[in-house]
Amino acid sequence: MRKMLSFLLALGLGVGLAAAGQAAEGYGKQKVVYHLNVDDPAQLKATVQNVQNHINAVGQENLDLRVVMHGNGIALLQQANNDADMQSKVINLKKQGIHFNVCANTLKGKKLNYKNDLFDVSEQDIVPSGVAEIAALQAKGYSYVKP
Amino acid sequence: MSHEKFSDEFLNAFVDGELAPEEKSRVLLDMSQDEALNRRVCELKTLHDLVRTGYQNPPQSGSTPRATGDTRYRANIAAAVTLAFGILLGWLLREPVGLRTAAGPAPSQMPAPDTRTAGAAARAAPGDAAPARVLIHINDNNAVHLAQALDEVEALLAYYRAHRQNAVVEVVVNGAGLDLVRADVSAFPDRVEALLKEHRNLTIAACQNTIERLAREAGIAAQLLPGVTVIDSGVAQIMRRQQQGWAYIQV
Repeated sequence: MRKMLSFLLALGLGVGLAAAGQAAEGYGKQKVVYHLNVDDPAQLKATVQNVQNHINAVGQENLDLRVVMHGNGIALLQQANNDADMQSKVINLKKQGIHFNVCANTLKGKKLNYKNDLFDVSEQDIVPSGVAEIAALQAKGYSYVKP
Repeated sequence: MSHEKFSDEFLNAFVDGELAPEEKSRVLLDMSQDEALNRRVCELKTLHDLVRTGYQNPPQSGSTPRATGDTRYRANIAAAVTLAFGILLGWLLREPVGLRTAAGPAPSQMPAPDTRTAGAAARAAPGDAAPARVLIHINDNNAVHLAQALDEVEALLAYYRAHRQNAVVEVVVNGAGLDLVRADVSAFPDRVEALLKEHRNLTIAACQNTIERLAREAGIAAQLLPGVTVIDSGVAQIMRRQQQGWAYIQV
């Protein structure tokens, strides 16, 4: 009886450990905010590539990723309006569940109309303050990445 | 970075969770940059867990010293399980990624299929009860960039004020960023002073390490603008604040 009990105990432990090993195999689920406030074309290109690599590494189903743009960073969606390559990259990322959020202060300061001047932005994509949004997301457990 | 500066005793205390938060963050910071140290801590952690597992069933006092067939059999199983546990634990902790995954908070909210509704749902809710705590890091001295950074700080404070949200904002300047708060070279001395006067929930902290490096390497005794405070290390402050739950933003 005792032997059987200890055997069952060991078996249960083994199964539990195997399950734990399985979970540690990948990165698990992630919530991430990417902060973009520069307009250097090379950096913009690198940023969309970083995001794609992030999806590839973690898996689309495990990832809640938001790109928050303010100041000069808004150039990403301006460029996507005019540049077919950037546009297809943004479309592709959105299909994989990536959110692009735009700072209302920036739109006002730069006198931009999000409907005409930016690529595929709707009212729900606009946040009152880019920096405050990033702070609030971190308070909700999002990790901060500055590409 | 050398990990020899931490003694085994110190690291054991870290593994046992007996260190003060400041010391803990120092080790964590070094671990994130030093793979050898990381490995050393993992080994200690494995040992620590092995010992703990081994002593979960302490020997009964008064039991016979010679093992009977049954107890030997059970002891073998216990040893095998302990060993397997140790090996697995070591494997789990073999790289920083494993550590981070194991220690990280469980993600609660995942993307909903509809991009738009999910975007609106995670929006910063104005008037959140919990105070916002934000650290803003400046480490370069490009004048255009500094002007933008000050704009951002000003806009953020205005946002919190307009939404009557409790908030504390700490600007940490180090490296070339120190120029912003040096009385002799700052491009925006009046703006810095005005911001500090206007907002009691704003602090601007200069890195003592940078100040000392300036004195050592360039012979400059940095004079800081009135109201600017000094912290021991900008990088350590960033680590501390993040561990305390502050948001970190590099502008």
